[in-house]
Amino acid sequence: MSVSKSRDTNLLRSSEKSSLRRFLILYFILVVIILSLWGIFYFQSKEKLMRSTQQTILSNYAHEQIQKLRELHQEFPKNSTYPRSQDFRSAIYDIERLKIFSTLDDKDIDFTKRFYRKNGIIRLMTYLDDYYLGAKYLFIEIDEDTNWYKSVIIDILTLGTIFLIIFAIFGLFFVKIFLDPMKNSIRLLDDFIKDTTHELNTPISAILANVEMMNLDIMSDRNKKKIARINVAAKTVSHLYHDLTYLTLNHNRESKNEWVDLKTLFEDRVEYFAILASSKKVTFELDLNYSTIFIDSVKITRVIDNLISNAIKYNKRNGAIEITLRKDYFIVKDSGIGIESEKVNEIFERYTRFNTSEGGFGIGLNIVKSIIDEYSLKISVSSVLREGTAIRVDFLKGTVDEK
Amino acid sequence: MKNKILLLIFLTLSLGAKDNNSVYNTNCIPCHEHLPYSLQKIYMLYLKTFSGEQTFKASLKAFLKEPLEETSVMPDEWIENFSVKERTTLSDKELDEAINSYWELYDVRNKLH
Repeated sequence: MSVSKSRDTNLLRSSEKSSLRRFLILYFILVVIILSLWGIFYFQSKEKLMRSTQQTILSNYAHEQIQKLRELHQEFPKNSTYPRSQDFRSAIYDIERLKIFSTLDDKDIDFTKRFYRKNGIIRLMTYLDDYYLGAKYLFIEIDEDTNWYKSVIIDILTLGTIFLIIFAIFGLFFVKIFLDPMKNSIRLLDDFIKDTTHELNTPISAILANVEMMNLDIMSDRNKKKIARINVAAKTVSHLYHDLTYLTLNHNRESKNEWVDLKTLFEDRVEYFAILASSKKVTFELDLNYSTIFIDSVKITRVIDNLISNAIKYNKRNGAIEITLRKDYFIVKDSGIGIESEKVNEIFERYTRFNTSEGGFGIGLNIVKSIIDEYSLKISVSSVLREGTAIRVDFLKGTVDEK
Repeated sequence: MKNKILLLIFLTLSLGAKDNNSVYNTNCIPCHEHLPYSLQKIYMLYLKTFSGEQTFKASLKAFLKEPLEETSVMPDEWIENFSVKERTTLSDKELDEAINSYWELYDVRNKLH
């Protein structure tokens, strides 16, 4: 299951991942905006409801206070005690807006608003029809209850988180829907290559075996050249066959790690590719020290083959390939066309080719990268356009024989 | 020293006399003290109708100068029994003085606690 997942992920190219990332960011921003707007509307509606409730309470207090003022007006001056309540504070002002009596905490009065909040208090202004004790304006004041505010914020955060999770699940569902056609197209190509690979093996093996068996001594120089060309063509197809086989059949097989002598391996592979290189008059310059690495021999062979094959393929005629091997790294450097600096990061992507005049499927360096990643090795590319490319592979401590 | 004491007694007496002989005391109280509606009650009626000090004083002055049934704040029963008072003979200055005294005497602001 985990292998299948990892393979699915590997199928995505960085441009597709980038599109996916952009979609997810856009989706996330959209969801956050929608939830924020909902939060604001929810808060405003709750606040409106709260204000309406408070206004009703204050209106009731005002009605109660007017009754008491009426009684006091009739009893005045026998009774001259201003009516007070534990539930609210109040004040009365005359028609000329001069204070008659006040129990308000904040003496600053706004006659332009009927209902307002200020410094943690809520105030309601009521007009009296009969001016009891000369009062035209009655102000009722209570302390603002902030508990509703906290409970609304908690509601918004809780519901917001729940909706965010629901939207995230929807988002993942949409991503799956969007990815399926993308994955299917890549899988279709993989299946096509897998099917054709089977048909390549037998004829190539037959060509190569027969070329090897031919007695070149009795041949004319003209025929020798023809046989050499057949050998180069067959080896090119054979290399491609091995890449495709690795990609489609061996990729998920269990690694058989062993100590591999890299110096011998490089010499062997250089000899294998010698005839291919000579067809472009490319020469090898080897600087090989002894080095061994604990790795699957098939996989390290695929890495070296692909680096050398590319160095030949993208080299100029009469060019050179420098191969340097040290205890904990090797470098394969060509004198070829080079790569533009902004495209260096894309060379490891599958089906990416920088020169359509050359053959291939653009899978070689993708295989190299997958093996490098599997063994946690480090690969670095330095390239100068029209001067050449150097690829350096550093070995991880522990994979190299310290002796 | 003797002169100063005499001056003080004279001023106290003359001020007291002035208060007792104020326009309000001499022109308002004598009639109203025989009526069933006290000046305090009438003050409260005016206050309930006109609210502020300036409005109160202006309305009362206007009524005293031109008493009409329509502008009276007194209940209908009162008008039926006692009719509307006669037009004042006091000058504007005297009227203002009497109304000021009336306002200050019954002003609720100083009495509420």
